[in-house]
Amino acid sequence: MRRTLLLPVVCALVLTAFSAATAAPPSQEAWRAEFDDLCSKTDDATSLSKEELKALIERCDRLKPEIEKLDESPRKLYSKRLQMCRDLFAYVLETKEQEEK
Amino acid sequence: MKRLVFISCLVLVCAAVVMAETGVKKRRPLPHEYGKVVMDNYSGQTRMAPVVFDHWLHRARFTCRLCHVDIGFAMKVNGTGVRASDNEKGYYCGSCHNGKYKYDNKPVFSACSLLPVYDESKHTCERCHSQGKAVKKGYDFSSFTSGLPRERFGNGIDWETAEKEKLIIPIDYIEGISIKRKALEVRKDFSITPNVKGMPEIVFSHEKHTVWNGCEVCHPEIFMVKKGQVKYTMVEVFEGQYCGVCHGKAAFPMIDCQRCHTQPVK
Repeated sequence: MRRTLLLPVVCALVLTAFSAATAAPPSQEAWRAEFDDLCSKTDDATSLSKEELKALIERCDRLKPEIEKLDESPRKLYSKRLQMCRDLFAYVLETKEQEEK
Repeated sequence: MKRLVFISCLVLVCAAVVMAETGVKKRRPLPHEYGKVVMDNYSGQTRMAPVVFDHWLHRARFTCRLCHVDIGFAMKVNGTGVRASDNEKGYYCGSCHNGKYKYDNKPVFSACSLLPVYDESKHTCERCHSQGKAVKKGYDFSSFTSGLPRERFGNGIDWETAEKEKLIIPIDYIEGISIKRKALEVRKDFSITPNVKGMPEIVFSHEKHTVWNGCEVCHPEIFMVKKGQVKYTMVEVFEGQYCGVCHGKAAFPMIDCQRCHTQPVK
């Protein structure tokens, strides 16, 4: 009885360990997806509302610490790219606020 | 005798004046030299020659945004701090120069690759680390540009017309590096009134600039200014600020006045 139970448990454990080892770290994919989503909006930043721009800036600020955990080369590259996106959103937001005054 | 002394004194005085002059006239670069960037962040530490980057070859094939946004090269020389290890891992130059990326169905040579083992006979490193060396480049400027429309200054090429006439089709997207973006909404052109009276007005074309640059190349790093709020001068532009970040370095130089000052004098 014990043997029959042991076999599926061992199989399940092996499968779990294998899938964990082969799949990319979930956090790595998550930061890249968030980065791509944020920076894909730079080209239509001027058509976004102030609230949308503020939300994007907040998301950039939340993503920054995740990127700072990366290895040297991707950290250097993606920190700069994220900063460029954030700066553009902030610039457009500031312009919109000044135009309203 | 007196005359000889006088002439000698005159020659000496003239020589002293010439020697004392602080300004040095800058030599105008030749067409193939225009836009050349010498990168020397860490090359010296490894006893390698600095890297020579030719803008003309790269700009004919890729947009400014691809390299200065997606790949992450700073707009200032040596502002990126690229290391050989970055290239080797597939970042910066290694984004394309990795032996796998293909252009015209030919793999682009690897930059700073340790595999295969460095072969001195192939001068692999010298393809880029070529400052001060007589390296035979893979592409010859004259033959490469022979079919392109001419312009008076810079590289002597009218890149704008070349792009319009589809003689060059700069790539704006590299899988795994670039982000899929919506088509850019073209902002309206606007005019800039020069500070000096009698100068023709400048028409700034967003369309022309966004074809290659997107928004974040210029805003806010280069143009922090909001329209009409901050006045900048040609002195600043000639010093390499504002328009001078690109114009005079890789884009057409500012001695080509009529390219910007296009409107009739009011």
